[in-house]
Amino acid sequence: MQEHVQLDQKEINKDLLDTIFHTPMWWYLAVTFFGVVFLIGASAFGYLLNQGLGVTGLNRPVFWGAYVVNFVFWIGISHAGIMISAILRLTQAEWRRPITRAAEVLTVFALTAALMAAPLVHTGRPWRAFLPTPWILPYDFARGIWPNIRSPFVWDPMAISTYLVASSLFIFIALLPDLAIIRDRSTGLRRVIYSFLCLGWRGTPRQWKLQIVAGILLSALVLPVFVSVHSIVSWDFAVQIGTEGWHSTIFAPYFIIGAIHSGVAAVATLMAVMVWVWKLHKYITPDHFDAIGRLLIVVGLTWFFFFFLEWVFALYTLEDPEIAMRKLQVFQWPWSGMFAVFLITSFIIPVTAWLFRAVRRSLLWMFITTILVNVGMWLERFLIIVPGLMRRTHLVFDWGSYQPSIIELLMVIATFAWLCLGMLVFSKIFPLVPLFDIKEAMINREKIKIGRKEIPASIRE
Amino acid sequence: MDRNVSDVVAIDRNVSDVAFKNVNNTLVEASNQTNLKWPLIIFAILSLLGFVGFSIKVFVEGVGSQQWGYHAALVAFLLSSIQSAPMVAIAPRVAKAHWRRSTSRIAEIFGLLGIVNLLLFIPLMWILPSLADGRRSLWFYDALEGVSPYSPHIWAILAIVVLAFLGVFYLWLSLLPDFAILRDHSKVGTVRKKIFKFLSGRWWGSSSNWYMHKHRLGIVGAHYFMLLVFVHFLYSMDFCMSLVPGWIDALFPITHAANALQAGVAVFIVTMYIIYRFGGYREYIGLDQFWALSRLLFALSLLWFWFWFSSFIILWYGGKPSERFVLELLMAGPYIYVFIPVFILNFAGPLLIMMWNAVRKSILGPTIVSIGVLIGTMLDRVRLYVGAYSVSTEPDKYALHSVPNTIWPQFSSDVLLWIGSISAVILLYLMVAKLIPLVNIAEQKELLLYKLHKEFHRTKVMVLGKPE
Repeated sequence: MQEHVQLDQKEINKDLLDTIFHTPMWWYLAVTFFGVVFLIGASAFGYLLNQGLGVTGLNRPVFWGAYVVNFVFWIGISHAGIMISAILRLTQAEWRRPITRAAEVLTVFALTAALMAAPLVHTGRPWRAFLPTPWILPYDFARGIWPNIRSPFVWDPMAISTYLVASSLFIFIALLPDLAIIRDRSTGLRRVIYSFLCLGWRGTPRQWKLQIVAGILLSALVLPVFVSVHSIVSWDFAVQIGTEGWHSTIFAPYFIIGAIHSGVAAVATLMAVMVWVWKLHKYITPDHFDAIGRLLIVVGLTWFFFFFLEWVFALYTLEDPEIAMRKLQVFQWPWSGMFAVFLITSFIIPVTAWLFRAVRRSLLWMFITTILVNVGMWLERFLIIVPGLMRRTHLVFDWGSYQPSIIELLMVIATFAWLCLGMLVFSKIFPLVPLFDIKEAMINREKIKIGRKEIPASIRE
Repeated sequence: MDRNVSDVVAIDRNVSDVAFKNVNNTLVEASNQTNLKWPLIIFAILSLLGFVGFSIKVFVEGVGSQQWGYHAALVAFLLSSIQSAPMVAIAPRVAKAHWRRSTSRIAEIFGLLGIVNLLLFIPLMWILPSLADGRRSLWFYDALEGVSPYSPHIWAILAIVVLAFLGVFYLWLSLLPDFAILRDHSKVGTVRKKIFKFLSGRWWGSSSNWYMHKHRLGIVGAHYFMLLVFVHFLYSMDFCMSLVPGWIDALFPITHAANALQAGVAVFIVTMYIIYRFGGYREYIGLDQFWALSRLLFALSLLWFWFWFSSFIILWYGGKPSERFVLELLMAGPYIYVFIPVFILNFAGPLLIMMWNAVRKSILGPTIVSIGVLIGTMLDRVRLYVGAYSVSTEPDKYALHSVPNTIWPQFSSDVLLWIGSISAVILLYLMVAKLIPLVNIAEQKELLLYKLHKEFHRTKVMVLGKPE
């Protein structure tokens, strides 16, 4: 971190609490816009409930389409928070400080978007999961039908719900000191609410110690959950031996690294938005973009290596159906076009661009390249799921294809609107940048003069 | 905070007792003071046993023997341990971690030892069958025209030669400033002075020298890492997996490489402990280094498990007959008594021991776990390679139909070769340790400039400069 902007505590409070105490007009407009888009998606869901799955493009043999693609995509994005927050916290990377909270919040809203995206929609008559004769919650053991605990479909909700709880707890623990600051600056009902939320935080040494220990412990404990979530999602596919392109041992790490690639890219996108919309340029500087750009190069290259291995081993099988599916992905329109777009946008353009320092330090370029990554990664999931299910092999009675219907597309768009809406509402209630972390960074900053040069330094524990 | 270079000692009294201006002398002298006569003699004799073992293997057992699995396992073990150890210098240097400064040289020397493994690899060129036998391979010999049946041999030797020389080059690059110091500390007209003058390659410590030096180290280090992963990819595929019909595991090359990084860290920790304990470098090597590396070792041990489990669950859950036989061959069948210790030493042991902060933050704890990891990796390579070579006579090249019996090592050839080769590696390390300082002098001096302690309210804290 070469750019040291020294800010006093008063200035930090004023800057970072501004959105909570003053609501600008753009916020109302943005909330209205995303709210309307979300409601349109919700209406599409209502229509789907009313009419049944026939209104989607799903048909045999492709029974998993845009919903499952979207589910995997959002689970991938949800890996942003833990990657940025937990791992960088454990490795004591200083540049993490202004972006940890936003990344954690992104995790939680991405997880809820994932839950909206697929599981209930795909069950058919989803209301029957709960009412009137529930088959999920509460589970009707009286029927003597036990869930198949060997199925990844049973592991999925366990892992995702654990991850959601752990991530929420992670945010809440880190919010406590900031909530106390808001409490101290509020009056009336707002003060009562924040007093309740901050759990009596007074900033005593014991409270600080407990908060730091809890943060570190949660960071360490949430890591295995983070790994398990996308591993299990990948096993939804990989444990099947009948679908070409799915039965691969590399799927778990390949999905995880893909998730980190798209998640960290999403954080970089969010950082640019935070600077533009919330005017946080004093806190999120080109140095931060440079650091996350470097991280993205490493993650992107690693992801590409896994992608390469996945392909090499698909061909290594020398099995006709597998190779036919790969040919379909690469040579047959429209899959070939999608494949080209996926590869160019998720790897070739962004990783090449990030090699240049000027790109890494440019908000606009980082915004564009990271958006490209996520366009590519969405397509990647689509290309894994749909062509595999098309089963264009011998002795298959139906060579079906798939095209998402307008209902599916509206619901997919609604999940994006949900995320934006969630972030906006969160930013109105809680600070998007952790105040205490920034203040700690300011206190930790030093400079060492060696000869004629002054170099930045920081206090280490 | 303003300070001059000469003040560093006064400010940093509790960082190290070694004064900035004395770093040169103490480190140059340290390597000369250690008496290595007897260890050198003992390891030289043990190395000779390796030659005896190798000769027996070639002339008595012959090149067609399934017993060569032990030789392939030895090459894989050295590739996974000594040739991965330079990563402990490369990765923290790229990440600009200060704790590495006093220990990076210990890791870099392992780059030179890759030469031993290169020599051991050469016989495998005759042992590995050509692709004409119709087995699946990376090179798609049957599916593509114009592919040489000796593609695995050609590409593997090329990659391993480049890796070995890149390791030597990396060591030399990092040594440049130290060679210049050694040159300047040698008496005029002596052979030593001439040698160090040649090796220091016109190093005068100019700004341009330093700028190029840091960039070259970064570039060569990145290439070493990529090539290391590539060599693991080729070697694990061509010299192991493709020999077992029906074994299709896309994750195996990465598991192989990740296990290598784990063993690389382990061999480094063990070496660092020996140098700390007996080498006279206690002023430079301390708890910081052990603590930092123990966390890395812990993380890599968990990674080993995740990779292994990811492969296992897919093969086990899929339940294809060919996959079931592969699992039986490598885990549940003739090598189960090897697999269990591997699981304990590479994962369960490190997990249960190093989950405790008190163990991680100690010198002996990580060392003991590292010894276990090294033994575990050695057994793992035996399990994989000996198992793979034991099925090389299977007529069906696309699926395994039965699991062969365990191949036990021959004392007169396999055991002697293993002892001799590992001794040769240690011998070479000791010889290098006699010639060059085991702590990077230039980096150590740089650290003293960047690191200081200062009063902070009622306590004392460490301030660490981050120049880049």
